[in-house]
Amino acid sequence: MNWPDLSMGGYGFFVWGSYIFALILIVWEVVSLKQHQKTLKQQQRQDAQQQQRSSSVSPSVLTGSTNETTS
Amino acid sequence: MNLYKYASPATFYPLAGKMIPWFAIPSAILFIAGLYVGFFVAPTDFQQGDAYRIIFIHVPAAWMGMFLYVLMALYAGIGWAFNARLASMMASSIAITGAMFTLLSLVTGALWGKPTWGTYWVWDARMTSTLILLFLYIGFISLQSAIDDTRRADRAGAVLALVGVINVPIIYFSVQWWNTLHQGATIRILGKPTIAAPMLAAMLIMLAACWLYSVAVVLIRLRCIILEREQNASRFAEVNA
Repeated sequence: MNWPDLSMGGYGFFVWGSYIFALILIVWEVVSLKQHQKTLKQQQRQDAQQQQRSSSVSPSVLTGSTNETTS
Repeated sequence: MNLYKYASPATFYPLAGKMIPWFAIPSAILFIAGLYVGFFVAPTDFQQGDAYRIIFIHVPAAWMGMFLYVLMALYAGIGWAFNARLASMMASSIAITGAMFTLLSLVTGALWGKPTWGTYWVWDARMTSTLILLFLYIGFISLQSAIDDTRRADRAGAVLALVGVINVPIIYFSVQWWNTLHQGATIRILGKPTIAAPMLAAMLIMLAACWLYSVAVVLIRLRCIILEREQNASRFAEVNA
């Protein structure tokens, strides 16, 4: 194993800049997706609670047909 | 109400959830392996020094940008032709990841161009056509988000995506058709690749990592889109009941 020169022979800015930019994009994409997923699931829970209060039938957003609402 | 059509995103939702770790974990392992080979095993290039090491992220990003565009157009086309909602959702999900990889290939290309060509950007055939690819992705995403009716948004997006496919062969063959500053293909389908074995290995491992990463994030986003659309549908039904 040969350790690479961290300065990349003077090209450090370009080489590390490329990989840091890639890392930023990946972290941004994953974190923003996870946050979005969290808010969606919270909304889903709220919707389900509201539906339980308004009617005895509690159709799940994912499994139920939209025709099931009874109100 | 056609239950068959309704069922497909709903049944795919839990399946997608189970599939995600099978792509995400190997992707992380391959990213580490690819970077290890790229930085510790692959030798310094005799012409470009260490600047060439940008290739390990630049080439996979450029490939993914082009490949995901074709895949997105294919799914959008299937969604449009067969009225398959899940395929249209898949296309919307792919668009952002594809745009991200295209942006990454442009930025890493600029960072590679400066030390080797002396400039961050030239209006060269390959770079210009790749920039157009990024604009096509942005156009697709903004067109879809501008139309409230999701099925109409899917159809409009499909037309744009399919028309834009013409740009992909233009990018791919641009280095052969025109005199460009950009170097020719490193790996040819027929014939030997033009780089050393560890360099090629690092590039292919990074490509596999990017590919697995794309599948994982596309599936996560697809689950979000399914949830979003079904929620909207159930709210709509409640209001109109």
